[in-house]
Amino acid sequence: MRILFINNDGGGFADYIDIAENTTVEQFFTIKMSSQNAEDYTIRVNRQPVSRDYVLRDGDRITITPTKIEGAAV
Amino acid sequence: MEYNKNLIRIANRIQDTLTKLRNNHYAEVLNRIEKLLDKMEELQVKSKLMRESLSRGWNSSAEECCNNLSRILNDVTHSTSHVQQLVDLPRKKVPMLTELGNELEQLMQEFEEVEINLAEGTISVETEPITLEEIYLGPFKIQLRLAMLSKLYSSPAYHVIALDPHPAATSEEVTHPHVSNEQLCEGDGSAAVRASLEDGRLYDFFTLVKSILNTYSADSPYVALSEWEGISCYNCGYTCGSDNGYFCGFCDRDYCEECSLCCHECDETVCSGCVTSCSICDDSVCPNCVRTCSECGSYCCKSCMEGTICKDCQESEVENEQRNEPISTNTQCTNTNQPDTTPKEVNSTTEGAKPVGLEIQSCGMGEAGLLPG
Repeated sequence: MRILFINNDGGGFADYIDIAENTTVEQFFTIKMSSQNAEDYTIRVNRQPVSRDYVLRDGDRITITPTKIEGAAV
Repeated sequence: MEYNKNLIRIANRIQDTLTKLRNNHYAEVLNRIEKLLDKMEELQVKSKLMRESLSRGWNSSAEECCNNLSRILNDVTHSTSHVQQLVDLPRKKVPMLTELGNELEQLMQEFEEVEINLAEGTISVETEPITLEEIYLGPFKIQLRLAMLSKLYSSPAYHVIALDPHPAATSEEVTHPHVSNEQLCEGDGSAAVRASLEDGRLYDFFTLVKSILNTYSADSPYVALSEWEGISCYNCGYTCGSDNGYFCGFCDRDYCEECSLCCHECDETVCSGCVTSCSICDDSVCPNCVRTCSECGSYCCKSCMEGTICKDCQESEVENEQRNEPISTNTQCTNTNQPDTTPKEVNSTTEGAKPVGLEIQSCGMGEAGLLPG
């Protein structure tokens, strides 16, 4: 099934990707964000906070945004 | 009802702005290409000059042309990548009004303080008070200016305004380690921030900016948190960074560069209040290295002391001793202008000396001669 994945960690690009049926948010995060800790991210599905065992559905929009991003000085 | 109308109005404005941004994107690409072409033209002119120089055998001129060409080529590389960046950006559709409306609603749900000002064309979100490494910075207002959003590629589209400013002691415009003059340096978040604005993903934009404000990067701040409160000079009150401040270990206070000195003897930092100037050489001396002359009581450095008395007193003593010495009458006065008529016997045990057995005898008239002995 197809979902829209917006990864705000890095380039911030939005892409439609195919995932397996019955994939939970937690599983999706583990696949896409491998070594990262979910506690360091804000995760929203269809603009709503969801639990880690929420099962993703066809057409869902998931955004993953880091809570810690290093700024700089020009 | 009124609330919904306002939301629709602002969503409409955002959509118009993003449409302008799309068009400005192409205009900006053209602008950057023109800059690249200017550089190429410069390259052409310089290479013609170089050809001319070579044909006339002017090697120095050719060398200078070469240096200029090197500089222009660097500029060309930079301009090329500048254009490439923009040209390679994926083309995005302008979001629909419903999508923008959903974004605004999500913003209202997730952030406590959201202000939408139709008249000014701004959308603002307030953060909670931010404290980084125990330094309180206060809350900030992230203000997106829709009129500037259409010029995203050439000007910043938002400001970060300190609501309870606690700026760096050495720089009032730096209200956060990564904010100067209300401009945030996005660092690792710049690509994501830009992408979120291009897509009209307002919630993501504000969340990203908030994440940057809540993170301290010690590698590259405008002012490091370790120097945030600066050092206030005890003498003149000037506030300086910790790198430019000095600590006087004698009075246990901090001083600026102007109000502190270095002991000439031991190199220890000493403030202008604790330092002593040597009365002989005028060098700065700390309380540990200063000496007092037992004769005159003046303060001197160790180098200007001879034992327990200063050099001045020492010299005075020597002069007095010389003045007080009596003159003796038995002393033979040696007149070097007259010949010495006293015969001398010369005996030498060293190589190259005069032969043994010869006498030096006066011949009179101020002359001497060698006579066989």
